[in-house]
Amino acid sequence: MPVSTQPPNRVIPALALSALACVWLLDFGLVQPNRIVSGTGYGLYAATGWLGAVVVSSLLAVAVGLALRPTHKRFWVLALLLITALMALPLLLEMLAQRKLPEDSAYARIGIGAGFWCLAFFLALMLLETLGQLKASRRLQLSTVLLIVAGWWFCATREGLSSLSLIREYANRADQFTQALTTHLSLSLGAVAISAVLAFGLALAMVRRERLRRPLLGLVSFMQTIPSLALFGLLIAPLGALSAAYPFLQTLGIRGIGWAPAMLALIAYSLLPMVRNTYVALMEVPEPVVDAGRGMGMNERQIFFKLKLPLALPVIIEGVRITTIQAIGLTAVAALIGAGGFGTFIFQGLGQAAMDLVLLGALPTVFLALAADAILSALKFQGASR
Amino acid sequence: MRPWLAPVALIAVLCALAALLPAMAPLFSWVEPNTDSLIYTRDSFWFLLQSHIWLVLVSATIGTLVAVSAGIFVTRPAGRDFLPLVSQVASIGQTVPPVAVLALAVPAMGFGEKPTLLALVLYGLLPILRNTLAGLGGINPAVLESAKGMGMSSAQVLFKVELPLAGRVILAGIRTSVTINIATAAIGSTIGARTLGDPVIAGLVNGNTAYVVQGAILIGLLALATDSLFEAIERAWGRTFSI
Repeated sequence: MPVSTQPPNRVIPALALSALACVWLLDFGLVQPNRIVSGTGYGLYAATGWLGAVVVSSLLAVAVGLALRPTHKRFWVLALLLITALMALPLLLEMLAQRKLPEDSAYARIGIGAGFWCLAFFLALMLLETLGQLKASRRLQLSTVLLIVAGWWFCATREGLSSLSLIREYANRADQFTQALTTHLSLSLGAVAISAVLAFGLALAMVRRERLRRPLLGLVSFMQTIPSLALFGLLIAPLGALSAAYPFLQTLGIRGIGWAPAMLALIAYSLLPMVRNTYVALMEVPEPVVDAGRGMGMNERQIFFKLKLPLALPVIIEGVRITTIQAIGLTAVAALIGAGGFGTFIFQGLGQAAMDLVLLGALPTVFLALAADAILSALKFQGASR
Repeated sequence: MRPWLAPVALIAVLCALAALLPAMAPLFSWVEPNTDSLIYTRDSFWFLLQSHIWLVLVSATIGTLVAVSAGIFVTRPAGRDFLPLVSQVASIGQTVPPVAVLALAVPAMGFGEKPTLLALVLYGLLPILRNTLAGLGGINPAVLESAKGMGMSSAQVLFKVELPLAGRVILAGIRTSVTINIATAAIGSTIGARTLGDPVIAGLVNGNTAYVVQGAILIGLLALATDSLFEAIERAWGRTFSI
């Protein structure tokens, strides 16, 4: 058996030591008397006691030790260790709640400190590096993420974390949260669907008529350059005037503010990536493939639907992916013009200086974008492998 | 000279509007007939424009320095171990919406200019980093071999061969980053930075469409002027370094 000694990994120790420094130097968690007051911060030892401090520190030390060992198996062990650690991370906050939360106060809550965020961030980076070293398949990566999400879900529904500020904010507005989710998804996905149809038509027109290419691409990239706040703002006056002139539009909900200008702006932004990718994808189908199709007796229609479209699909889906991520972010901004969605929580929270409300809006927005990325990337690879 | 015509013209219009908007009050009575305060007056547009540009400029400078040096570090032998992780983080990070980064900077740093700057730097360096990696990674290894064969030191290879060849791609990354940051800085008004977003936000809060239009026009013009400036620079760059 050949003795294959592998070089020590330097990335994991660097990350683990950074995590160790952050965890000991920054506030791990906070205890707030109510939702507005910023509260008292506690370091790792004060927040979780010697048990938490020892577990976290030794976990990071073990990770450093494993990364330096010269075997390949170390990465499997590391992966298991990191997944377990990430799944159980919220339990550390539960320890803080048990130790420091005053029992007689109904409004007291615990907040997440910078130390906790840094620990979660560095652990996630270490896991990313480990999975990369293992050359993990997409399926394995996806199940890892799902496992961790399940772990957090389980922890969040436990009684011990009911005093966590984020969960308090959610519990106060569970209905609004569901509504924000629905609005956010229907606005962004609706805009993506409509612009997909439009973009497909535009790209086909460009394929047929070369002359249209420059003006159309110029127009859609011009729209992409206008900052979101400006475009939302500029649509208010014309739509407002339109609905004032034709009252039946108001019964449809089309006004200067609300979903109508948001939808229009989202569609305008979505066109560039969609049109560009669809056009490039259709143009890049190799000529010999098309010739072979003709040789087999396919007519133009069959060539388009059976050859060109399937071959172009991965690049088109990549356009949909970019567009969807972008639309989810822009929908959050659209809350400023009254379109609803998670942006409502963000801007309300900023207005009231209630940071937990800001988190309640920002974290789901990030989560939606990451989920859309994961789902559409998986679809793209499926399309490419067929 | 022709590529510079569009940016110069747009910058002239932008400056002229920033100075002259207050004199155009009668025009805005058409947009917002029900109020006397037709012009946003809490700060001058000129000041807001300067402050907006300053934020974007500072964040682009810091972002470029950090991203390009990080990109160089992870493509040298000493830092190559970090390359897979850094390139993955650069692409996953871009999935996070800029407005969320802006919102999350507030719990970390409070309200004002500083969290806005932090968010702009953090988010802005991702496209530059990604393009730096793509630019440096896309260079034909044979070119690097022959440069070494000519007796160049590794510093010479970096500054005389790699960076000039990757420059155009890096510049495109800076362009993307600046475009995003002009838009994000405008939203920075909601967390207390003073930018051209102020009139828009104030207008939305008070239901004054005239304010909204004034801010929106200036933000839009700033973005277009900057974009056409980059277009011109990219063309000039292409002429200088075309082989």
